[in-house]
Amino acid sequence: MSIDRLNTRRHFLRSAGGGFGGLALTAMLSRESLARPHHTAKAKRVIQIFCPGGMSQVDTFDYKPELEKRNGTPFDPDGKLQFFASKPGNCRGSFWKFRKRGQSGLWMSDLFPKLAKCVDEMAFIYSMHSKTALHGPACFMMNTGFTLPGFPSMGSWVTYGLGSEADDLPAFVVLPDPRGLPPGGIINWGAGFLPAEYQATALDTTNSEHPIADLFPPGDVPEITAANDRAGLIFLQKINRLHQEKRRETSELDARIKAYEMAARLQLSAPDAMDLSKETTATKRLYCLDHSEIGPFGRQCLLARRLVQRGVRFVQLYCGAENTTAKTIRPNWDSHEDLNRDHGYWGAVLDSGASALLQDLKQRGMLDDTLVICTTEFGRQPASQGGVGKGRDHNAGAFTAWLAGGGIQGGVGYGATDELGYQAVENPAYSYDLHATALHLLGVDHTRLTFYHNGIERRLTDVHGHIIKEILR
Amino acid sequence: MGLCAGMMPAAVPIEFRKQIAPIFERHCVRCHGAENRKGDVSLATSADMQSIELVIAGEPDSSHLIDLVSAQDGELPSMPKEAEPLSEVEVDLLRQWVEEGANWPAGIVLKEMAKADQSWWAYQPLKVTDQSIDDFIRAKLQEHHLTMSPHADRRTLIRRLSFDLHGLPPSPERVEAFVNDTGPNAYKRLVDEMLASSNYGERFAQHWLDLAHYADTHGFERDQRRDHAWRYRDYVIHSLNEDKRYDRFLQEQIAGDRLWPDDEQAVIATGFLAAGPWDFVGQVETKSPVLRRAARSLDLDDMATQVITATMAMTVNCARCHDHKLDPISQQEYYHIRAVFAGVRREDRVVSDIALKNYELRRQELLDQRNKLDYESGRLAGEGLDLADIVGGGNGFGTGTFRNAIDPRNAKVQTRDFGKLGNVVSNHFSPSSFEFIDGVFVPDGGNGEIELPVSSTGIMVTGLPKTSGNAWDMIRNGPVASQHSPELGGIDFTTDGHSLLGLHANAGITFDLKAMRRVLLAIDELGVSEHSQAEKHTGAALRLTANVGYFGAVGDHCADVWFLLDGRRVVEFQKLRREDGLQFVDIELPATAQFLTLISTDGGDGYAMDQIGFGDPRVKLAVPPPLTEATRRRIIDLKKKRRQIDHEVELLGPPPRFYGVVATDEKADVRLLTRGNPEAPAGELLHPAAFSALTMLDPQLGTVETSQGERRAALARWVTHPDNPLVRRVIVNRLWQWHFGVGLVDTPSDFGFGGGRPSHPELLDWLAEELLRQNWSLKAIHRLILTSDAYMQISHVKEHVYSQVQGVEQGGDSVRPMEIDAQNRLLWRQNPRRIEAEVIRDSVLFVSDKLNPKRGGPGFEDFTYQDAYAPIYTYVTADDPAVWRRSIYRYIVRTTPNRFLATLDCPDPANLTPKRLATTTPLQSLALYNNEFMIRQARYFAERVKQQVGEETVAQVACAFGLAFGRQPTVEEVRLAVELVEQQGLFTLCRSLFNSNEFVYVD
Repeated sequence: MSIDRLNTRRHFLRSAGGGFGGLALTAMLSRESLARPHHTAKAKRVIQIFCPGGMSQVDTFDYKPELEKRNGTPFDPDGKLQFFASKPGNCRGSFWKFRKRGQSGLWMSDLFPKLAKCVDEMAFIYSMHSKTALHGPACFMMNTGFTLPGFPSMGSWVTYGLGSEADDLPAFVVLPDPRGLPPGGIINWGAGFLPAEYQATALDTTNSEHPIADLFPPGDVPEITAANDRAGLIFLQKINRLHQEKRRETSELDARIKAYEMAARLQLSAPDAMDLSKETTATKRLYCLDHSEIGPFGRQCLLARRLVQRGVRFVQLYCGAENTTAKTIRPNWDSHEDLNRDHGYWGAVLDSGASALLQDLKQRGMLDDTLVICTTEFGRQPASQGGVGKGRDHNAGAFTAWLAGGGIQGGVGYGATDELGYQAVENPAYSYDLHATALHLLGVDHTRLTFYHNGIERRLTDVHGHIIKEILR
Repeated sequence: MGLCAGMMPAAVPIEFRKQIAPIFERHCVRCHGAENRKGDVSLATSADMQSIELVIAGEPDSSHLIDLVSAQDGELPSMPKEAEPLSEVEVDLLRQWVEEGANWPAGIVLKEMAKADQSWWAYQPLKVTDQSIDDFIRAKLQEHHLTMSPHADRRTLIRRLSFDLHGLPPSPERVEAFVNDTGPNAYKRLVDEMLASSNYGERFAQHWLDLAHYADTHGFERDQRRDHAWRYRDYVIHSLNEDKRYDRFLQEQIAGDRLWPDDEQAVIATGFLAAGPWDFVGQVETKSPVLRRAARSLDLDDMATQVITATMAMTVNCARCHDHKLDPISQQEYYHIRAVFAGVRREDRVVSDIALKNYELRRQELLDQRNKLDYESGRLAGEGLDLADIVGGGNGFGTGTFRNAIDPRNAKVQTRDFGKLGNVVSNHFSPSSFEFIDGVFVPDGGNGEIELPVSSTGIMVTGLPKTSGNAWDMIRNGPVASQHSPELGGIDFTTDGHSLLGLHANAGITFDLKAMRRVLLAIDELGVSEHSQAEKHTGAALRLTANVGYFGAVGDHCADVWFLLDGRRVVEFQKLRREDGLQFVDIELPATAQFLTLISTDGGDGYAMDQIGFGDPRVKLAVPPPLTEATRRRIIDLKKKRRQIDHEVELLGPPPRFYGVVATDEKADVRLLTRGNPEAPAGELLHPAAFSALTMLDPQLGTVETSQGERRAALARWVTHPDNPLVRRVIVNRLWQWHFGVGLVDTPSDFGFGGGRPSHPELLDWLAEELLRQNWSLKAIHRLILTSDAYMQISHVKEHVYSQVQGVEQGGDSVRPMEIDAQNRLLWRQNPRRIEAEVIRDSVLFVSDKLNPKRGGPGFEDFTYQDAYAPIYTYVTADDPAVWRRSIYRYIVRTTPNRFLATLDCPDPANLTPKRLATTTPLQSLALYNNEFMIRQARYFAERVKQQVGEETVAQVACAFGLAFGRQPTVEEVRLAVELVEQQGLFTLCRSLFNSNEFVYVD
């Protein structure tokens, strides 16, 4: 008996026939979708990039020349406003120069030089706003439609509505930032009150051999060999079948037997999806995998592409964390004291990864039916945080989200903020509208995707939501 | 209502509000109201109706409205479009009303009516018929030509009961005893035995805590610890075990602090109100009042919703932004309920001031006793005097206070932290009043030229270096203020068994060796050592041992340490840095020496970071006195006594604090919030009130002046009023659900229009009435349910369950229950059930024999905790009995759920969970087969089997099946299992059994 084999798990699986792989693989990983789509879908799958901490709209996508003009003048001369952490300071123009981009001529700042080249694929909602300027609740709102914890995330709703395309991978996968969890923790991608089968599977992207918790037994168990791992499962299924003989009417027992078979597929497919060795050098370069700072997010983006390629319905990846103790650069976009430093850092990370993802999807012809969404939980103030501070405070009144691919018309903008970028004034849009639009593209009527919970037929869009037709193809 | 009115003689004029408005509200306003104006038609106000000329007063036949709602030529009326047509009576009323002039008094605005009104079944008084559970079930089955299934066998029954009542499998011994019990009423006795066990409370508390969405952290962005929350959890366990009257149980949880302020348990019970999440950032941290109001509003919503749905199954939260669409709960009523809670907020509080005082007194008493014992045994064993303890005001044997300190400027005792000291006078010797300390000073040797005093007797020294003359913080028993680390050389000197004397440069302290010698030799006077009298007179040689080091951070800073004996330098370390690690010193202190001086100086590079520390500094006799037999016995005795006291301290536990509610500082001003928006209050101040839908009760709970405590007390009384039919219906339905998997109403926290209808309404009412008759005893209801034939049925389908259709001759068509009632709502069999996440975990521990039976107290932590802006909880699978307690005692973290349990359907404590879901996923298979916890327990399971039956394979297989399933394996199973064990080992069998369907499904 050798311990080495456990260190190379794929080897363990394939050569020794261990793990669940030894079983007859007869079952599908995920059951067929319950619901037929309500109408023809433009998008089959979603990749959502979430930038926690609050990305500034006025330094990125929402060009405000008037703000530049008023640079240095008091934002709130009457002193009436009180933001999350401060009284507003002076107006502060963008930290980066804005330019017209692409054929569409939409504005984008120099923070995103690479993404600027994709502008004609992207549709911008300039008039996003949130119900709260607190990170945790605002993240919940953007993910679930509610500011309280405990509601299902969009990925869970989509999985609940559409089921899985893959027969050997989970339908809903999350790639958290390698630096840590976003504000509010893992319940950001929870299934809430939906059955646990719709909860996300978080992939540990730093461990490509063992990306899913408990995918394999721990490596240091002397009792476990490839042979007995498999023999135990075969025995298990035999006694399960014997047990079932007298209980044929209980279909859950059969489902449970199948679940062990499905797990077998996952043991093969999950490490395979994580294995970047067969990607070309050009692809690796596109995603800047070797770069120490922007490489990790590039890797997440590349993995997202590989996952949707394999039929994963919904991938959510985080560009930023929260629960970390890092001191120098803020662990996410929450740039209270030094926006140049923190947005500068995270901007480069997002710019590289997201632009590579869009290009890669396009080259492979996948962008047409893959919806890419990039959002944050709220925006930032057009004023400096306190006096002449170098940061910006939270702003629930305005932020920008962008979408691309999967039925989205590129190079268009929707809605507008006021002349300073302080509040959404033209066609203000909540997460409800973004979610309604995304579901629409997936062939789902957001008002009919419901689940009864404690007195209410719940929806992702609560009792709200309008499809933003202006950005659809 | 309208229906009756319609039968009155036409002479009586129509009253719009009573007769017409309800028709519009019920049938029209949903689409044609102020909000929704479909087809630009609104029937919200008189003006709306007139503006589109729907009605011509006095001419019903010319009025479009009447056309629209009347059936014509056999066609359905064109309105309402998406609902049942109006009744003839209603149409006639409308005609009469139009004929009389279509009078619509100004000011009456119509709103959509809820689907259910006060006449909804759940709000009606109980209708009680005198039957038994089985009568009700059989009658309903008979209506559908079905019959009950036979009783399950005893083996199945005890397993079912055990999981139901204890959340654990029965032990094989208990199974055999029950199976072979030939006495009368064996089953009833078993039910009683199981209800009497403390395991019952631990099991059922989980159900209740699910309703309270209990957890041990606050949740939201900064998910901080809530370390005292567990007292409420223990309260629930305890109350259920002692079968507290259910009305009292609710009263205590809503207003125990007000109703029984002297009853600690009743006060702790209010932890119920605080059990849900709480947003620190939104309620405290943010400076924005708008954000605070928003967070507070949601906080109150959570509290009100929890109380009302748990007790009354009314989905009151649906009326936060508008009137309830389905149930008769107006938005106004919702805010009346909010007014009950608006005067409290969640916070840690003491159980009672007296309890806290008593606790602290008792604790101090025990610590004093322990110190005395330590003092004596330390002296006897020759451990010597701890200099750090002495600095902390102690006697050298552990009575000092950790981090207490002496001021180097004036020898005063200090307890708080200081930074850079002001008013420092260098080379001024301040005598100390402590027995073993001669005095202290701040040194500056001025390049060896200055003569400075180091004792109260005037001993002067020269040769010390020049210093900055600055000093930082105090001379401490423990680390100094802002010390980089208490750790050096791999030893954390703040942990048990270690001590640290913190001496930040520049400072010096002189100890009185004569006084120490007196104490160290005094043992002779006890007559326990064999030191000669001569030695005592001449004094004895002592020695100092310590681990000296630079405890500041690595970097360009260093400091010097000096040891002086009567002013003579005996040991020194110059330019000591952190990298140098610990320096062990062992200095002989001759019998004649009087003063020992310790000095730290700043190394000439400023005093920053110069955190010099003396680890475990002790002065003891150079030659330890040989111990007499009596001394040895005495030491053993002292150690035994100390263990007893340790045990008592442990029993005393943490201070009597709990997480509950306290009165807010502000007045509880509640107004209706338009569309639920906290920035849009409207109308008058609202007094506390309950729901008018329960017409048998008076909804008034006070005035706007009523205190917050009295408001809650009034609600508690209203909820538990014997005439309140809903509260009892709701709890007996929950009990039913917890025994059958599905309630008689299958939406246990929603008895409104959106919820399910009772499958057996008469049975539900009978049980509710029985609860009152049995003095609100939940155990009595359990007993009734558990001893019913309905409960005891087999759970699988047997051919002979099919009954004959009445009146059909033998050989006629039989009725298949699976076709008639596949969901088994009629209960023609018992429901098989997947055990919950926590039950799986507990059962695994039970079978592996590792379940730690410790009950109550702070929850066990199966994670490592790291303090940060948002604390980080990282789960670890520790191989440690401390985390092998029942899952009810788990420390529950909101933002970071235990992944293993969450995968097995353990719910998110953000949600009120009236009913657990059971899913089947491949990730569950992976978790049960591969998770480290499962692997380890499979190993222990195998060890246990070997221990019980030895190496013989067939016996091992029999034993393992017995433990896991409570039965012997079949011939086929024996064959398979023996083959497996022989080829792959017993561990593999145990691992598989934990994964089997039989292990996680109960028949």
